[in-house]
Amino acid sequence: MGFWLELAASGLITGGIYAVVAIGLNLQYGLMRIMNISHGEFLMLGAYLTWLAHTTLKINPILLLPVVAIAMFLLGVVVYRLCFRRIARAAPTVEVIEARSLLVGFGLMFLVQNTVNLIWGADLRGYSFMAEPVDIGGARFMANRLLVFGFAVAASLGLLALLRWTMIGKAVRAMMQSPTGAQLVGVDTGTLHPVVFGAGLALAGVAGGLLSMVYEISPSMGEPYTVTALIVITLGGLGSAIGSLLGGFLLGLVEAFGMHFTNPSLKMVLSYGVLVAVLVARPKGLFAR
Amino acid sequence: MPEALLSARGVSVRFGGLTAVNGVDLDVHPGELVGIIGPNGAGKTTFFHTLSGVLKPTEGRLVVAGDDLTGRAPYVYAAHGVARTFQTPRVFRDMPAADNVRFALEFAGRLRRHAHDAFDDVETILGFLGLAEMAAVPAGALTPARQRLLEIGVALGARPRVLLLDEVAAGLTHTEVDATAQLIRRVRDELGVAVIWIEHAVRVLMNYVERVAVLHQGAKIADGDPRAVARAPEVIEAYLGEDGAPERIAA
Amino acid sequence: MSLPSPSRMRGVPFALVLTAGGGLVLATLPWLLSDFLLALALSCLMFAALAVSWSMFCGPTNYLSLATSAFFGLGAYVTAWGLESMPYGLTVLVGGLVGAAFAALIGLAVLHLRGAYFAVITFGLTELTLHSVTYLEKTYANTAGRIISEAPENTVIYWTVLAVTLLAIATAILVRASRLGFALSGIGGDEERAQTLGVNTRRVKVIAFSLSAFFPGALGAAMAVRWTYIEPLSVFNPFIGFQTVLIAMVGGAQTLLGPIVSSVFFSLLTEFLRLRFPYAFLIVLGLLLVVLVLYLPGGLASLFVRRGRQHA
Repeated sequence: MGFWLELAASGLITGGIYAVVAIGLNLQYGLMRIMNISHGEFLMLGAYLTWLAHTTLKINPILLLPVVAIAMFLLGVVVYRLCFRRIARAAPTVEVIEARSLLVGFGLMFLVQNTVNLIWGADLRGYSFMAEPVDIGGARFMANRLLVFGFAVAASLGLLALLRWTMIGKAVRAMMQSPTGAQLVGVDTGTLHPVVFGAGLALAGVAGGLLSMVYEISPSMGEPYTVTALIVITLGGLGSAIGSLLGGFLLGLVEAFGMHFTNPSLKMVLSYGVLVAVLVARPKGLFAR
Repeated sequence: MPEALLSARGVSVRFGGLTAVNGVDLDVHPGELVGIIGPNGAGKTTFFHTLSGVLKPTEGRLVVAGDDLTGRAPYVYAAHGVARTFQTPRVFRDMPAADNVRFALEFAGRLRRHAHDAFDDVETILGFLGLAEMAAVPAGALTPARQRLLEIGVALGARPRVLLLDEVAAGLTHTEVDATAQLIRRVRDELGVAVIWIEHAVRVLMNYVERVAVLHQGAKIADGDPRAVARAPEVIEAYLGEDGAPERIAA
Repeated sequence: MSLPSPSRMRGVPFALVLTAGGGLVLATLPWLLSDFLLALALSCLMFAALAVSWSMFCGPTNYLSLATSAFFGLGAYVTAWGLESMPYGLTVLVGGLVGAAFAALIGLAVLHLRGAYFAVITFGLTELTLHSVTYLEKTYANTAGRIISEAPENTVIYWTVLAVTLLAIATAILVRASRLGFALSGIGGDEERAQTLGVNTRRVKVIAFSLSAFFPGALGAAMAVRWTYIEPLSVFNPFIGFQTVLIAMVGGAQTLLGPIVSSVFFSLLTEFLRLRFPYAFLIVLGLLLVVLVLYLPGGLASLFVRRGRQHA
């Protein structure tokens, strides 16, 4: 019993992180059609910020999370202003926005990843934080993982609540459903776009900060998360925040149980097999009505 | 009566719980010029989509030139001689106007010759529409009115047996509307093409077609001589909800 | 018909002669260049062929395929599996055919998806192929990679890759002038409209996608012998696909010359930056890419082509 709980829990913990990363990327895509392939690099940047501040200033990493979130949000607004705003204005069609933002994303990926590599080197970095086991219901967990899970779920639910109940959240949802309609009723894309782009980066940064408490970090840690986020978004449906949350947990569980029941070397075949199958059979996402 | 060129039998289209088209029958014979009118949301455009294969009907059958094409892809309809325009012109914006027409000639139009050699190549079609000067201009750079004309030109390039026109007069000035209507009549007269023409501006249509069908809430409520149809009580009732309806129906 | 042959047929013989002439000149390079420069020329040729064949389908249709690595990797594995029983030239041909067959197969399944969906699924399929080959090799051959023992001379490889590149360019020229190319641009403009005008869009897309995948397959088979050790992660490297897309789009995927110019530009630039800024070269490359997309969105080709767009 304890074993199955541990397996499920480890799937949900990873899934929680997947959800946070994917929701940010999905909001950016759903609202602006920006396929920001460098999303994982900003996660990595969040992880390095947390690691740096914790190891040099000895600040509790939990307290650093809001700082990282604000810093990444501001960085996001700047990146949006410098790069993506121009694309959105110059591109004649949505497809062109997607293609060009993908290219700029590649550029940013090279830029950010190699800058970090140049400053801190390619070595694995890390610190130990709350690395003691806790017993719950006969299952054993590392305290830091539970913490990460709690924050990941809190961040995701908080964002969903923002989308549902605040004015800006309603504006975002309106824009995703009908851009022209929302503009007619006075939604201002000039402020909404940078804010949502910044929020996406803030979420990525927080996810990175959380990951730095559990795993060792390196400049190349972000890329796999970008790929995972793309898979989660596809599972949950492009543009759907709740879909990403559920999709994240689902993928975490599939990976955990898939690894246990099948040959570990089949894991990647399974993950990508699921992605391809979902895209072919249900391109609007598993949860689409 | 000869065999119908295009025949819709009990065509229905449902989106979830909403019935957009409800059991419509329509037979169109070679050389006929038929109008379809109806208040907003009557299902005219949806019905048109089924006639060109763009939308598969939920129920009913579509027979073109004796072949049952129900459920087939739009290119099969095109190959059988069904050509259409769209309400919002869907020209290839990056291609020059001439290439737009040439596209139709090289694909759908390749399979047939026109009965008459008028409008049988890019130059004559563009010339006929008054677009000869615009041949090299990218279609997307044309004015909306000229894009509408080019849309007709593209449909002509497909060397159709049945030409489906979806609100080609919308947004045009009175003179432009009359010119377009004359043009459509000439196409029918000179090529013997059957034309089905949807228009929201009923007045124009009633002057030019020989037969008109009325759709209301997805169902066909009248079909026949325009003057008789305009006096039919159920047609007047269907239009009563709309402002200025009686004047618009009166031919 | 009073109209002369369509304008797009004009210039085809000239372009083909130019390609053949350029090919003859390039064929002399092994006698003129040092080993280092010849390797550089080889990489220019490879990326030119990849970018030209990518643009063949993706340029006019506006599809964003990331599957190039899958075709390339399959080609490389044809060589890895078959070089002992087949001559080198035949593995290149079979590699191309395998790439084309695989593309036709996945094309049937996924070409109805567009935009970001298509980009993601082609990426997913590439990864799926990579991990499937890894798994198959591990399970049935009990090996992680394969050693290529008998490789042909470097000059033979160069001429082979040159031949594939010239064939790709010639094919691209002919496709652009053909009904297939015309149908593809119609699909890129408005797919449904193209259908209502008589184009069997599904068939056209599958044929063109498959044709464009012949070249990365052949190149994978041709280039595999350059590495002595072949493993899935190196030949199915998604980076090959990304780089192809980058080069094609920076050059201007709608044009023929753009991707060629851009592949030379990129290969030389990468080499220059690598030598000049060994540590910061990827940073500079990234920055350059961002700037290029933002300020030269039509691609390098737009520098040479003056746009005569009047308003009417």
